[in-house]
Amino acid sequence: MLAALIRKELLALLRDPHGLAALFVLPVAFIVIMSLALKDYYSPPQRSLAYAVQASDSGELAGSLLQSWQARHGAPVALPVDWQQQLREGRLKYVLQLMPGLSDELALPSLPTTARIHLLAEPGLDGNLYQSLSAELSGLAGELKARTALAATDAPKPPPGASMQALVQAERYGSAGPRPSAVQQNVPAWLVFGMFFVVASLAGLVVEERSSGTLARLHSLGVPHGVLIASKALPYLGVNAVQAVLMLLVGVYLMPWLGGDALSLAHVHWGALCMVLASISLAAVGLSLALACAVRTHAQAAAIGPIANVLMAAVGGIMVPKFVMPAQMQRLAEWSPMNWGLEALLSVVLRGSGVAGALPHVWRLAAFAALMFAIAVLLFRRPLR
Amino acid sequence: MLAIEHLGYRYPQAAQAALDDVSLRVERGSVLGLLGPNGAGKTTLISHLAGLLPVQQGQILIDGQPLAAVRAATPTRIAVAPQEYAFYPMLSVAENLACFASAGRLGGALKRERIAECLAFAQLERYNATRAEQLSGGLKRRLNLAIALLPRPELLLFDEPTVGVDPQSRAFILDAIRTLAQHGTAVIYTSHYMEEIEALADHVVILDRGRMLCAGSLEELLAQDQVVMTLVADGIAPEALHTLLSQHGTVVATHGAQGTQLSVRLAERPAQVLAALDAAGAQVHHAHFGRGNLEQLFMSLTQRSLRD
Repeated sequence: MLAALIRKELLALLRDPHGLAALFVLPVAFIVIMSLALKDYYSPPQRSLAYAVQASDSGELAGSLLQSWQARHGAPVALPVDWQQQLREGRLKYVLQLMPGLSDELALPSLPTTARIHLLAEPGLDGNLYQSLSAELSGLAGELKARTALAATDAPKPPPGASMQALVQAERYGSAGPRPSAVQQNVPAWLVFGMFFVVASLAGLVVEERSSGTLARLHSLGVPHGVLIASKALPYLGVNAVQAVLMLLVGVYLMPWLGGDALSLAHVHWGALCMVLASISLAAVGLSLALACAVRTHAQAAAIGPIANVLMAAVGGIMVPKFVMPAQMQRLAEWSPMNWGLEALLSVVLRGSGVAGALPHVWRLAAFAALMFAIAVLLFRRPLR
Repeated sequence: MLAIEHLGYRYPQAAQAALDDVSLRVERGSVLGLLGPNGAGKTTLISHLAGLLPVQQGQILIDGQPLAAVRAATPTRIAVAPQEYAFYPMLSVAENLACFASAGRLGGALKRERIAECLAFAQLERYNATRAEQLSGGLKRRLNLAIALLPRPELLLFDEPTVGVDPQSRAFILDAIRTLAQHGTAVIYTSHYMEEIEALADHVVILDRGRMLCAGSLEELLAQDQVVMTLVADGIAPEALHTLLSQHGTVVATHGAQGTQLSVRLAERPAQVLAALDAAGAQVHHAHFGRGNLEQLFMSLTQRSLRD
């Protein structure tokens, strides 16, 4: 009996191209588009930004500063006549103005009080990039000033390679986990989103069954409530498993083929990953069943499921990463089951956590799933006519 | 086979009972016609028999056993062919039958045999591989019927099974139901088409607002009824005609092929009524006299006011 009802559910799903598209094509499209769009978010393209220099100081130290800058950022374009216009329109990303007196200022053994280097950025330049360029300029100027000051003393000459940069070592701390990238962030995010999207298909079919009297007919034939619920939950747990495999394959194989970064699963704890995926799937199917049993009409099914999904995704850090949200929004994000799923996946895929590291999120997802299944069972028992 | 005794049911928060003191019996091999306007309680009664509503008041017995116990042991002894197309439109005819056969705990050779028998009974063999959504209205009704027959039920409930079908399909369905009854199945048949009930039913129950208005064999019910005269007349104002006829019995207006007709359930001989009409200057164009039919009985019992 259960096998026949599961077969029916799968046939219904396979013959619904719109439902299949929502479950498989939509999240794959999101992964591809968002990963390519945010490809440079974790490694800003500083070398490839078009910039120009307006040098009003031809001194030796100003020239050294420019040389160092070019070594890091490539050669500038020739300063166009209409550079202000090009900067406003974003065709030039930034212009460095080396003001008169810069070399003298760099030679003085004192801290500056007047701006001699102007960084003029196009209006749409990313805030982090803007800050980083400004800090880099300050660092370079400071280094030149320090070298000049040192040369004027009896101190021994610095060894080759010595620099203020050698003082700082920066790295992303994540045990043996992979390098963060847009793919590494987006595959888990849109996988969670896609898994929760089963709500639309499931709710639609339950409403159809109820309104057509099919559910009443199955009750009348003596099909137990538990079998009916299991016949809906099991196929969609399977759908979630297929989604997970598909999305991971897209990240590992398709994204590099399209020119993006590859999803790295090299250091992933597979047991933890399976546990996390199973808990997300249970939460998604539980929520879908509860909503499917709560709605009464096709219009409700078509609206409430997707709206709930999009809201949970927006709040939960799927569409906008949680770490860029202000503190208040981050606290709100922690109420979204999608965020629990995303954090659990990121802990395994990005931070290299094992079972213990993912457990706090998994417990929340499991408790949520249990609550949703209980609500679904209660609603399912409501009398039918 | 089926005995319903003093059944009552009130939906939560409802001001009025959906069923109130309903009692009826259905024997194997017989057809019970269940009549009632919208909101009469027919669907509530069917929902009880389908196991979708619990018994609140009274009892429902199947061969002397409480319905709940019978359903717990063998839920497929009673089957419902609902008013809606209660199957999966995206599945083929064969896939629908296989799904509901399994849901009814049929398996193996018996399942295959019953599917083949039901396909043949409903004459759906040619549409075996056709998706249900592509069937015509009449074929969908036949599929609804075939699914209901799968577990070989002893009691079959048909809820308006001929709505929206062509005359040929209607005749086929009525013949099929008659055949089922002749082979020993107990049948409850609800419809708004009185001629179907007259053609099929051995016994009739008329429900309204949850209460039984009358029950009995068709002959008994029509024989109980008073003699009815139906007429069309002019040469007299409609109000005056109504007033005149009211002096000779209960008047009901109906719409027939000849416009508004007045029917009067006579308390005296027809000749006296015709004489009174003649004396009042009325010219009678058409008059029909005799026992009422089921529709007249139904309308007089349930009154003419709209229910929806």
